[in-house]
Amino acid sequence: MNAQQAVNIVMIEDDEGHARLIEKNIRRAGISNPIHHFLDGTSAVHFLYEDAHGPVHNGPALILLDLNLPDMSGIDILARIKGEASPLRRAPVVVLTTTDDKFEIQRCYDLGCNVYITKPVNYDSFAAAIRQLGLFLSVIQVPDIEEN
Amino acid sequence: MSAQQEFLERQAERRFARTVLMLITLGFAAVMFAGLTAAAIMVRGEEQAGRIDHTYLVEREVAGIRLALEQMRSARRGFILALPGVGEASYSSAAARLLHGIDEVARLTLDNPVQQANVARLSAMARTLDGLFRASMSPSRARAAVSERERQQLAAKVEALAMRMLAGERRLLSERNSARIASVRTFYIVLAFTALLLLLVGLGSIWVIRRYTSALLASRMALQSLNQNLEGAVAERTTDLQRANEEIQRFAYIVSHDLRSPLVNVMGFTAELDAAIAPLDAMVARVEEHAPELVDDTVRIAVREELPEAIDFIRSSTHKMDRLINAILRLSRQGRRTITPERLDLGQLTAGVVDTLRHRIDELGVAVSIAPDMPAIVTDRLAVEQILSNLVENAVKYLKPGRPGTIAISAEARQGRVLIDVADNGRGIAPRDHERVFDLFRRSGAQDQPGEGIGLAHVRALAYRLGGTISVRSDLDEGATFTLNLPAMFAGENPL
Repeated sequence: MNAQQAVNIVMIEDDEGHARLIEKNIRRAGISNPIHHFLDGTSAVHFLYEDAHGPVHNGPALILLDLNLPDMSGIDILARIKGEASPLRRAPVVVLTTTDDKFEIQRCYDLGCNVYITKPVNYDSFAAAIRQLGLFLSVIQVPDIEEN
Repeated sequence: MSAQQEFLERQAERRFARTVLMLITLGFAAVMFAGLTAAAIMVRGEEQAGRIDHTYLVEREVAGIRLALEQMRSARRGFILALPGVGEASYSSAAARLLHGIDEVARLTLDNPVQQANVARLSAMARTLDGLFRASMSPSRARAAVSERERQQLAAKVEALAMRMLAGERRLLSERNSARIASVRTFYIVLAFTALLLLLVGLGSIWVIRRYTSALLASRMALQSLNQNLEGAVAERTTDLQRANEEIQRFAYIVSHDLRSPLVNVMGFTAELDAAIAPLDAMVARVEEHAPELVDDTVRIAVREELPEAIDFIRSSTHKMDRLINAILRLSRQGRRTITPERLDLGQLTAGVVDTLRHRIDELGVAVSIAPDMPAIVTDRLAVEQILSNLVENAVKYLKPGRPGTIAISAEARQGRVLIDVADNGRGIAPRDHERVFDLFRRSGAQDQPGEGIGLAHVRALAYRLGGTISVRSDLDEGATFTLNLPAMFAGENPL
């Protein structure tokens, strides 16, 4: 499990309420990895690529991405992360958003998104989904960026 | 404002056209009148020429009379002097010529009473003179009876009368001649006037024709350019409408998603609050057990009744809001679905729709009748199914309590359209709500049935997309008839 311990969770979510609910439910699922929360795309991208503690310079990461961000579209961030030359292209990305439009979902998967979760309004299913995501996080192997 | 201006312009144009027509008619009438006048003058002129000829003829005859008289005299003298070659025969022929000339003049001057009188006198005198001459020449030579002087006087009288007649004819001739000249002048004046009128009318006509032709040409050019632009204009308008439609759909889509985001929070934290009630309740119970004096009714009611009640209300409201947002989303998605027209058997389709609702229909004992011989229609199957399903569902839903429900579905083709009627005998819709029921989230009558007021808004949106309309005829408690009016052949997206 020590490989997972090092995995940072980068949450890019402009709604603080959603972020708090996601964090709560991840913690409830028993996941204690550090969560870095960003409210906008610019600072998130900066952290991902430039920051000393960011995934490019400091170990593997799992990215939780909302598509509706105030300063840029989450799709753009996804495209950048999964781009050919991106150092983060192997980092798993979980898209968590309110959009359940099937074209949007297809587009995310085409761009290389690993999991797409629609935030349900029904809280129980939302909490259940996040907790399952937590369980999923506890077993998946995240490739180390620096090993590439 | 512009319509009034246009009206005034058109009126002025009409007045102008009327005036022009009147002027041209008048002009042609004047030309015709002038022409007739000229013709009349010409006829008169010919008549005058005839009279002048006639006068010449009379003059010649009178001159002939004078010549014959002279010949008679010289023949008689010659006979008496017994000149060779002059005999009684030459006198007789001269006398015959004289009498014949007088008769001729009498015949020619039948129209002239003065000359007639003269001729009568001349004839009488000539006969007397002839008698005297013949007597003087007779072998019996009864010369004594009439003196030479008497003969001379009578001959002079005849001569004078002939001269007078000649003068009369000459006068008549000059009169007639001057009249003829005057009439010829009048004729020329009339002719010139006619030519002038003709010129004026011609110019006027040319001007009017030119005016109309240029107006016609201008309007034809305008029409042509309009025609050329029309296609572009239609395409442009269609693009605009499509863009506007897309905009609205995007708007609905974004709004519904952005509304959903705070709703997730409201629901989430409500659930967190709800979860927090359990430990609170447990603590209140513990405190009640160990130190009852610390718990009063306010705390107990707050934890056990008011908090759960508030949370229930928040929850039911958010659920309702979620349903509304989903409805908007569904409508906006419906707008984005592509319409695939195909040939539909309405009877079969309707039966299929009724079958999907069979359970509810049988449960409530509703009698559904589908008219035979429904017309065929080419349109989107799913959309028509959804519309009919909504309408039948509503009919089943809003029955009049205590009245067995009946629903009649019929359709007829009319001028390229297909009218589908769904008629029920349910509780009906008050006329003031006829428009309202098609609005999103609006309902009519007693709110005793579940629903969000989405169905008919959905139906109307679908009908519009198919290029059709939906309308209702109904009265409260009198049942309702919904009429779906669709093009028999789907002709392309209706951007509204």
